[in-house]
Amino acid sequence: MATSPETVLDGLDSESRQMVIDTVRQLKKRLLTKEKILEFDKNEFFPEETIREMLGPEIGLQLLVIPEEYGGMGGGTLDCAEIIREISSICLGVATGFFAIQLGSDPLRVGATEEQKVKWLGAIADGKVLVAYAVTEAGAGSNLAALKTKADPVSNDAGKIIGYKINGTKQFISTGGYADFITVLAKTPEGPSFFIVEKGTKGFVQGKGEEKHGIRASNTSPLSFTDVFVPVENLIGGVPGQGLKQANEVFGYTRLMVAAMGLGAGEAALKIVIPYAMERIQFGSPLSEKQGYTHKLVVPNAVRIEVAAAYIEETAIRLDSGEKDLQVEGSIAKLFATESANKTADDAIQALGGYGYISEFEVEKIKRDVKITCIYEGTSEIQQSIISTFRWKKTRKTKGKYYMAISSEMEELNNVMNDAGCLFYSLAASALNDTIMLVNDNRLTKEQYIMFALADMMTHVEVGASMARKAMNFTKSGDPEAKKIRAMSRIFANETSQLVARNILKILMGSGVFDQSSISDFMETVSYNKLICSFQNIIKDMDMVADMLFERG
Amino acid sequence: MKGRLQKVEIIVLLKQVPATESFVEIADDGVSIKTDRVNWVINPYDEFAIEEAIQIKEAHGGSVTVISVGPEKASEAIRTALAMGADKGVLINDPAAEKCDCLGIARILSEALRNVPFDLIIAGQRAVDDDNFQVGPAVAEFLSIPHISMVIKEEIADGKIRCHKVVEGGTVILEAPLPALFTTQRGLNEPRYASLPGIMKAKRKPLDIKTLADIGLDAAKAGKPKTKIVSMKFPPERKDGRIIEGESAQAKAAELVRALSEEAKVI
Repeated sequence: MATSPETVLDGLDSESRQMVIDTVRQLKKRLLTKEKILEFDKNEFFPEETIREMLGPEIGLQLLVIPEEYGGMGGGTLDCAEIIREISSICLGVATGFFAIQLGSDPLRVGATEEQKVKWLGAIADGKVLVAYAVTEAGAGSNLAALKTKADPVSNDAGKIIGYKINGTKQFISTGGYADFITVLAKTPEGPSFFIVEKGTKGFVQGKGEEKHGIRASNTSPLSFTDVFVPVENLIGGVPGQGLKQANEVFGYTRLMVAAMGLGAGEAALKIVIPYAMERIQFGSPLSEKQGYTHKLVVPNAVRIEVAAAYIEETAIRLDSGEKDLQVEGSIAKLFATESANKTADDAIQALGGYGYISEFEVEKIKRDVKITCIYEGTSEIQQSIISTFRWKKTRKTKGKYYMAISSEMEELNNVMNDAGCLFYSLAASALNDTIMLVNDNRLTKEQYIMFALADMMTHVEVGASMARKAMNFTKSGDPEAKKIRAMSRIFANETSQLVARNILKILMGSGVFDQSSISDFMETVSYNKLICSFQNIIKDMDMVADMLFERG
Repeated sequence: MKGRLQKVEIIVLLKQVPATESFVEIADDGVSIKTDRVNWVINPYDEFAIEEAIQIKEAHGGSVTVISVGPEKASEAIRTALAMGADKGVLINDPAAEKCDCLGIARILSEALRNVPFDLIIAGQRAVDDDNFQVGPAVAEFLSIPHISMVIKEEIADGKIRCHKVVEGGTVILEAPLPALFTTQRGLNEPRYASLPGIMKAKRKPLDIKTLADIGLDAAKAGKPKTKIVSMKFPPERKDGRIIEGESAQAKAAELVRALSEEAKVI
């Protein structure tokens, strides 16, 4: 285990983190066996007892997300990401129930008064409560400005506010039907604010669970509030109107967690596909020796999953080292990891053929489960919108320095490590930068489809750069996986290069605003012909990665 | 629990082993396995030992000390035992110990325990990597204390331990005066999780790292193995099955009998 003397990071030492991960792995042997997980899914059963046991003194998993001063373990972002990834690799439904506790406690962590933290975070640490985070409404998903649930101040005879009366309904609330208390966002005259509402409060009705496509071991319920009175002590932070700020403050973090959930599910699918392919003999040889099979259904997914892991880890460490405002990074992580995991799970069904379609083999469950990660905490399209808008603004504000810095960093990396695709990451970052400027100068930023095309380019360049850095770190430290990571980085550099090249054409030609000679000029400027040469030797690289994945001679 | 309660000082012998689901590759030397991609865990039989030790401590009072011989990495396994509820850890980490066979390891452990007060030693019946079944009984021999193997249930009272072990067709109950050593069998208990509060506490529990010199052993002598691994091989790959073709059931049966008799020579 590496114990390099780095800057002091938030969270646990790596040995303690590994022990928590090992404890989660132990759950698979008893509490969360494959049989139980399949049964929860089949019967749409929220395993309340099991989850409460995970929070009990024998395990105490929730302590991870509670700061030490309030009786928790004080896990950092990397710790939480690694552990939720591990739980998600067992069952995304159970992971969702656990994540609801983390989400529900977030407004308390970032916004509550000291007294509120002691009381409510302390209650979570004690392990006797299930928690839910109630923000979404039928008419307000990511668009929180459309929030309808109201909290009207209630004053005493002296005119002092003693509490609030909440009216409205919430929808799609994870663990909503079982939560012992919730943190709910409602509009006060000063703006949206978070309140704590306890189970059993008069007028607060926790509805019946929805029947769902996946994560069927989680509970998703509507909540309704009819003149629900909460004392002023339950207004999180004690000052009304802070709710949106509190919600936004944790987005970088919570979206990174959903990214880690997708990652865990994707990894679980690969862990089923790889041994299956090595054992399943068709036409005289195992599937794992058939290039069409491996290069279509396995290698690209294994590469993307590894890239997602690199980016999530890098972003988590940045948050743990005290960096703020990583909301866009949270969006990039979520978009890339969850879409990659969704594709991985879909291909996993295909890779198992008929067996993939049968519940017992698990991959079809993983596929149904993982889809939610592309939806909740902001859909992939919301992420594309956030990424393109904020990175466009950043590019304009820094006069192009943002992506050019990545481009030169990759160029320098290429000088010391010429077999990790860094040259193409460099070219792609620079071409992306020119494209953003072109879109900006031609006022094409109003066209959402063009912005989404940019978002995909931005995402690939940024996660790819992270993979290249990981390849460098592994190479420097002599990690036995270094060769694999470099080969995967080459494959992903090709994917990035091709995507950037294609999206440039999509924007240049598709927008219909450029004539042929300016298109040619621009393609020359961004070295289009060099970008598309990234295919060089790529099939050999895929052969090599397949050798490593399938442990072939 | 019968009899007068008395504190029990317990030693648990622990080994860190590759997880059974690890991918095993034989190293280039032909006599060891490649370890760079191995996931290490506490030997499962030693987990039963840790759990039983903690349960005895909870019932009688006393303390649990976990001791292991291994590389620096083995401290992770000891730390996990501390997180489960053991009180103290000792790791004997010495390059000379790496060359030891099971008898050598038993010698080191018994020397390390020679001046430590204890009432009970619990060990796994065997380590799932080398499958030698030796270290526990050998430690008992070196320390001249009684040893009971493959225990599925125990009771401690009046300075004695009474152990149940399964034998062919029944159960044997054995009794020995303390101090004694017993080894574990599946069914003894269900090991607890290393809980998060336990993991937090484990960081502050003592874990001593010692060399052979620290326990008064001459490294040159202790490292001399009495057995040598000559080579390692994977089990032979199973050959494909064969489906006997034939016009009728009778013809197939005749062919099967012929094959069993003439080719396989089993009938």
